[in-house]
Order: sequence, then structure tokens, then C-alpha cells
Amino acid sequence: MGPLTAIVALPIVGAIALSFVDPEDHKTLRFVAMVFAVAAFVASLVVVARFDTAEAGFQLVEQLEWIPSIGASYKLGVDGISLVLVVLTTFLTPLILLASWRVDERVKGYFASFLVLEGAVLGVFLTLDLLLFYVFWEVMLVPMYLIIGIWGSANRRYAAIKFFLYTLLGGLLMLVAILFLFSEAGSFDYATISQLELSQTAQGWLFLAFFVAFAVKVPLFPVHTWLPDAHTEAPTGGSVFLAGILLKMGAYGVLRYSLPIFPDATVDFAPWIIGLSVVGILYGAVLALMQPDVKRLIAYSSVSHMGFVMLGIFALTLTSASAGVVQMVNHGLSTGALFLLVGFLYERRHTRAINAYGGLAKVVPVMAGFWLVVSLSSLALPGLNGFVGEFPILLGAFQTTRWAAVLGAFGAVLAALYLLWVYQRMFHGPVAGPDNEHTTDLHFREVAILTPLVILIVAIGVYPKPLYDTVEPSVDRVLQQAGLSGVGTADVEGVAPIEGAGR
Amino acid sequence: MILAQQTFPTPEIAWSAFAPELVVAGAALVLMLFAVAGERRLLAAVPTGLVVGAVGVWLVLQGLTVPGGVAIALAAAAVAIPIGFASQPRLISPWVAGVALLAALGLVLWQYNAVFAPGGAASGAVEQLGGSIAVDGVALFTRLSVYLSAVLTIPIGYGYLVDRGLDREEFDALLLLAAAGMALLGAANDLIMLFVSLEILSIALYVLAGFARRDRRSQEAGLKYFLNGAVASAILLYGLALLYVATGTLELDAVGTGLGLVTAPQAVGVLGLALVTVGIGFKVALFPFHLWVPDVYQGSPTNVTGFMAAATKAAAFAAVLRLYLIGFGRVDDLWVPILAVITAVTMLYGALGAIVQRDVKRILAYSSVAHAGYAAIGVVAASPEGLSGTLWYLVTYAVTTLAAFGSVVAIERRRRGEVALVDLRGLGRTSPVLAGIFSLSLLSLAGIPPTAGFAGKLTVFQAGVSSGLSWLVVIGVVSSVIAAFFYLRIMATMFLDDPDEGTELPVITTGLSAGVSIAAALVIYLGIQPGVLLDLIVNAASIAR
Repeated sequence: MGPLTAIVALPIVGAIALSFVDPEDHKTLRFVAMVFAVAAFVASLVVVARFDTAEAGFQLVEQLEWIPSIGASYKLGVDGISLVLVVLTTFLTPLILLASWRVDERVKGYFASFLVLEGAVLGVFLTLDLLLFYVFWEVMLVPMYLIIGIWGSANRRYAAIKFFLYTLLGGLLMLVAILFLFSEAGSFDYATISQLELSQTAQGWLFLAFFVAFAVKVPLFPVHTWLPDAHTEAPTGGSVFLAGILLKMGAYGVLRYSLPIFPDATVDFAPWIIGLSVVGILYGAVLALMQPDVKRLIAYSSVSHMGFVMLGIFALTLTSASAGVVQMVNHGLSTGALFLLVGFLYERRHTRAINAYGGLAKVVPVMAGFWLVVSLSSLALPGLNGFVGEFPILLGAFQTTRWAAVLGAFGAVLAALYLLWVYQRMFHGPVAGPDNEHTTDLHFREVAILTPLVILIVAIGVYPKPLYDTVEPSVDRVLQQAGLSGVGTADVEGVAPIEGAGR
Repeated sequence: MILAQQTFPTPEIAWSAFAPELVVAGAALVLMLFAVAGERRLLAAVPTGLVVGAVGVWLVLQGLTVPGGVAIALAAAAVAIPIGFASQPRLISPWVAGVALLAALGLVLWQYNAVFAPGGAASGAVEQLGGSIAVDGVALFTRLSVYLSAVLTIPIGYGYLVDRGLDREEFDALLLLAAAGMALLGAANDLIMLFVSLEILSIALYVLAGFARRDRRSQEAGLKYFLNGAVASAILLYGLALLYVATGTLELDAVGTGLGLVTAPQAVGVLGLALVTVGIGFKVALFPFHLWVPDVYQGSPTNVTGFMAAATKAAAFAAVLRLYLIGFGRVDDLWVPILAVITAVTMLYGALGAIVQRDVKRILAYSSVAHAGYAAIGVVAASPEGLSGTLWYLVTYAVTTLAAFGSVVAIERRRRGEVALVDLRGLGRTSPVLAGIFSLSLLSLAGIPPTAGFAGKLTVFQAGVSSGLSWLVVIGVVSSVIAAFFYLRIMATMFLDDPDEGTELPVITTGLSAGVSIAAALVIYLGIQPGVLLDLIVNAASIAR
């Protein structure tokens, strides 16, 4: 058993182990869950240590027979793109569990759901077999459905079912496409399928079938409508997991599957998807600006930020696509931290209405400080991580689709507006009312959760090179597989001469 | 048996072609003998044991160790069970039936080994008794689905029948007869055998559906099933007769050849095909011949409903596969488009119909209609992949639906009435294990991995895609998403709602929990490791010609 299997299996084994613990013994339950989540993190660090950043292809590949009669195998492997996302997942999960320390309702189910969810998501990032990929992709649905549905807030039932059905529809269309690819290739193996020479028409349909699944997950305008509900109704841990990790599955899928398997269709559809990304960036930002509910505001900001990621990828330059991957990590850290902060505040006050708060900076200075740093990171202040992702995305996009970069930049401006405005309304001004006066500041556990996030936010902002070094070779390989080896240049075939671009 | 040996050159195949049915039907007769004998049942058991034991010894001496051993074990059981359960006579007939079905399952495995394993009696398909019984993959896997369903139905249903005062001896005998009929239908290779076995299973099921005599819904179910079924049988018989007129033969393969000839009277053949489609469409509950399903599924005793859903579907689909792929194989341009449309509508109708239902059994009834549609994708695909896909789908559906109806049995037992959606409120808190198993079976019905239902859907969808039926598969996908909505709603009611005051805990007895747990374990096992059984099916996906 190699380290990759260990990464996927540890959380799932943990979930099974939890089922043997007395459901009333909350301490043991939390402890066991934490042990397995940390163990998965350690396993991912082992992979980091063994990973060779100079090598672009898949490393540490493990393969076993699974369903030989239909050519499906258990095959895992890691490259630069999946590595950073795996580490992001295993890093965030223990923090999420720690943030859920106070959950006292059906504790066993809660922690078990998170561990299964983590295992499934790690499987999605690591697998190199399309059937196994689909299995992990769908397995993830059930625990997330339960997390939103059982431990969520008032409108949780609606949000949970909406989340499930949106994702299922996308997923099943992808399944049909996977089955078609299987009937062409005779195997579910990624290496075999990515070598297929498909006709232009077939590529178009298959690309769309895959893309619906990925676009729902990202989420791309106009299939983003499940996200505000799901993020808002989910418990804090669920929101962090959704924003920090689950949304990355869509963008990951695009890089891993859409580009290499359907290169022609990718180029054909790129202008359209860039258009939708830009709409998402602006639309998400404008809606975020108007939200009276702070959690919903952050949810819409996710729509906007993930639009940047998609813009970066579909600009199809090495700079922007690598930055897209880096921005996934950044978004996971900063939006995750924002959801944590909102969650901590909600635990104290049980309201998410922005106008219920005011002047908190004087009452809870530590929380205000964290909130400010994280907001600044999210609005891409130079020196913090958001900048090192967003800027190269715009830079790369400017080379190929100038209009998109120009419009996207407005999204960055709007981000500053809504994030600073909400900070101002909630933390500055006079302390409004007795509720605000008696809000307690962050305690030790909460600071301990946020500190590693902030350290990474600053570290990546100051020195992003290791992250880029890890990601770039693999992104370059993906672009080359798609026949787009233009290294950060504008001569990408079929993309540059877009009608009306930049005029 | 002995007669067969004298008539045919390959005696061991001749009777071994239907050895499991011999055991099951024999056990049904023994159960009726016991019922007649009452307290003096040993007077019936001892002679039976002696005869069966003698046959077993003779078989072993002939070199047929496995069937001989099974016969000797059965002989021992026939005597031991009445003695062992003398103080609890109620348990005798379930045990006899269960042991007989296990023996039948053992013989199925033996058949598989003899026929399909490398170096077996035949690597392909074998027909015996003048071609009326086929020994092929379809027959074997129908037997597997049917006997597995029956053997799980017995422990799941026992306590339920006792609760409702329905534990009369004829129940198990009827169940065995229905199972034998279903297995024969799976093996039936000519038109007469097909009709006769269909009638055996139908008549047993009519009685079983109306088994709760004092329950008006059960009466309604029995009567409705009988009337609809009788009409459908008549139509089917008329269709079969027209096929005979058109081709002058009763053997399916010859019918297929005959229909393919230009000399065959086209109109008569087409009419026969149409009538057969109507008749058999009723049995597998394809739209628009599904109208009986909700009422019959709701009214029948729940364990019978589970058995009908799991096993009848498997058997009737075996007949569909045989009829369409062999009988109508050469005129597939006639039926493929029509059956494709019927399949598409069935999938959508089943899913949409379930959404508006409030009764859990009715929801599952509509879902079974949708599942008939999914299984039919493999038939429409008209390819080896479609054949193995449908067979595999039926196995996965059987274990899933048994787990689902088993859970409903558990919930229904304490309520002594219907189970509406609202009655499930908070079940996730009051009995988490039961709610968990029920949810597992619902997820499997919805086709979410890693459950058996996913593995099943995967293979039929795959068969559809590789036969160029992507549009049909996309409709299947849409139907699955709609269906997922109501499965999720059941789950949501169990886990997200709080229990009502004074909701009683469901009763779970040993037999019930064992039966449901085995079904649930199979749902997981076939989902995570489908390779083992799927390989068998792909290897054995042969059909006798």
C-alpha cells in the first residue's frame, strides 16, 4: 500500500472506526476523528517529501485490478496540480474538525460524515481511472447532503436537496460521457483515454457533458444558484469545506479531463466560458455587495473568485492557468478563514444579519484583526496570497482575451468594495447596542485554528515560488497535451483572434 | 428423472437442466403434505426423507457427488426439521422452505460449474427436453436472482406474517411454487414452456397478493392482480398462438428464423409480436401496462411485495430477453424503436409518478416501474453487453429492493398499517441502524456509488451507449435525477425531521434483521467489488439458440 492509498483510506478508516465508539462519548469521538484527519495530513506531507517537482507527469502511481471485465482499475497518481489540492484538503480538514469542537448534536454522524467526505474528495483528486473518479465524485454527495441537511440552519432541507440534485444531474451527464469514452477506448484508464483521437463533433458533446458537471461544482454562472443556499445553510465546518475544498473539484476536473481529452472543443468553447466566467466575476461581486446576510455575502464572493480561477484556466496560457491553480489554494485559505470567522461570530450571537453588528473592533480586537487580514487577502492586496494568484490570472488573460481581463479587473475592484464595506459596517463605528458590547473575543482554540491559515496567507503572498514551482510543470504538461504549448504568450491558436477582443 | 435418463443420450444434463426447480417444487409438495398431516407430520417426513435419501445415495454412486450430497442433506433436513422444531411447529415450514432454497442455490452453483467453467459439460448453451429448457446464462442468473430473493424473503417475512396472523402453512408452499415458476420462466425456451411457467408463477402470486384475507387492500390487490394478469395472459397467449401461425413452430429459435424469412406472413407475425409485447409488458410493468403496480404493491403483504419486485422482475425480464433477442432477433428493426420509446416513457413516468405519492410502498412501486425501464435499456441495446447488463442489473435490483422492502416490513410491523412518509419522521434518531439500512437501499435505488444500484446502472447505461442509444441513456439520467429527489425526500424525513411524540420503535426480530442485513451487505459488496459476479455474468451471458 503506497502513500496515496493511505491518504484516501485514512479518513475512511477513521469514519469506520468512529462507528465503534459510544455515540454519547463526544470526547473520544472528536479525538478519534482528529487523529485520522491529522494522520491523513501527515501522509500527504510524506507525499510532498517524495514528490519531484521537476517531473511533470504522474508520480507515485499505484494500480490494482478492480473490475477487470470492464477495464476499470484502482489507479492513483499525483502531479503538481493534484498535490497542492490534496495538501489543501488534508490541511483544512483538521482545522474544520477543530472548529466543529462544539457541535453537540449527533456528534458521531457529524465527524464520520466529514471523514467520508474528505476521503472521497481526496479520491477525486488522486484517481487516474475515470470510473473510480466518478465513484468518488458521487460518493462525496451523500455526506455533504447530510452535513447541510442535519447540522445546517433554518432552511437546510431545501439547500441540501438543491445541492444534491444539481450535482447529481451534472454528475450523471458526465457518466454518460465517461461511458462513451469507454466505448471508444475500451478502458476507463486515464492514460488510455487521454490519448484518444476524437472527432470534432464528439469532442463538443462530450466536453459539454463533462463541463456541466464541473461548472455546477465551480460554480460557474448560471448554474451557481445552489451555492448561496448551500453555503449559507451549512454549518460552519460545512461551509468551510464547501468553499475551501469542494469548489476546487470543478476547476480541477477541467484541468485534468476537459483540456487533455477534448483539446479542440476546449479551444472552441473557451471564449464562451471566459464570457461566463467574467459574468460570474461581476455578477457575484455585485450580488455580494447587496447582501444583508454576511454569510451569503461571502458565498457570493466565492462565485466571483471562482470566476477568476476559470478565467485563468480558459485563457489557456501557462501563466494564467498556473495562477488559476494557485488561486484555488488561495481561495480555499482565505474564504475558508472568512467562513470560520463568520461561524465563530454566529456561535456567539446567532445572527448573520450585517446590521445587527457594529463597532465590534473595540470589543473583539483579535477577531477584528484576523478578519481584516483575511479580507485583505481575499481582495488581493499585494503582499498577501490573493494577489499572487489574481494578478497573473489577469496578466495571462490580458495577453489572449484582453476584454475579459479588463472586465475581470473590475471584479477585483468590487471585491475591495464589498469586503471593506462589510468590515466597516460590522467592526467600525460606535458600538451598537448591548449585544455588541457583550460579544466575547476569540478564545484560544479559535486563534489556534486561524493562525496557521493566516501564516500561510502571508507566506504565499510573500514567497509564492514553491507553489508555482510545484504547479507549473504539470499545468504546462496539460496545456501541451491540449496542443497549446504557448508559454505565456498570445499566439495561442484559435483563442487570440476572437472577434472584437480588446477593441 | 429416470424417464429422462432413458429417453435422452446425455442423461445427467437432461435432469440437471432443472434440478433446482425439482428441489423447490418438491419442497412445496412436502410442505403441503405436512400441512395435511398436521401433528402427525413425521408420518410424511420419514418416507420423504427415505426416498430422497435413496435418490441421493444413488446419485453419489453414479458419480454425481454434488447433487447427490444435496439430496442426502435435504433428506436429513426433511426429517430433522420436523423433529427439531416439534415444540415450535410454526417454524417448520419456513425452515423447510429456506433449506430447500439454499439447496437450490447450491445446485445453481453446481450447474454453473458444470456448464460454464472451463472444462465443464458445455462451454456454450445447452438445451434439453426437446429444446424447451435452456441451460444458459440467462437461466442461471434468473435462478440466482429468484432463489436469492426467495431465501431472503422467508426470514424477512416470518415475523411480519405472525404479527398479522398470516403465518398459514400454504404461504411458504406458494412462495416456493412461485419461485419454481419464475426459475422455469428464466429457462423456458419454447412458447409453451414460457406460457406454462408464467402461469405457475402468476397463479401463486395472485394468491400471495391477496393473502391477507381480512385486509381490504390486500383483497383489492389480489383481485386486481388476478384480473389484470388474466387478461394479460390471454393477450400473451393469443400473441404466442399468432407467432405459431406465422412460423409453424413453438421453439423460440425456430420462431426467430421463421419471422426472418420473407415467406412468413408479415402481418400475422407483427400482430403476434405486438400482442406478446403487451402481455409481457404487463408482467415486467412497462408503461403503459404498469397501471396495476401501485395498487398491488401497496395492498399485498409487504414481504410479498418485496418478493414480487425482486424476483418477478428478474424472471419476467429473462423471458423478455429470450423473446426479443432470440424470437424477434431478426426483426429487430420492428421492435427496437417501439421498445426504446416505451423504455424512455417508463423511466420518466415511474420517476414522475413517485414524486406525488405519500405512501412509502406506493413510492417504491413507482420506483420499480422506473427500474423496469432501466433494465429494459439492456434489452433495447440488443447486444451481448445489453444481455449481461440487464442480467446484472436484475441481480443488483433484487438485493436492493429486498433491503428496501425489508426495512419497510420492520417499520410496518409495529404500526400494523400503512407506512406513510410522515410515519418515518425522525426514524434516524429512534432507530439509526434501520434508517441507515433503508437509506443505503434508497441510495442504491438512486444509483449512487458505492452501492449495487450504481454498478447495475453503470452496466445497462454502458450497454446503451455502446449500442448508440445515448439519447435513451440521457433520458435514463434525467429520470434518475428526478427519482433521486423522492429517495432523498424519504431520507430527509428520516434524518432531518424530528420524531413525533410517542412514535413507537419498529420491532426487529432475529430473522428480519438477518435477512435485511444480508441484503444490505450484498448491496455494499456488489457495489464496491462488482468484479466477481460481473465477471461471471459477462462470461455466462449466453443465450440458447
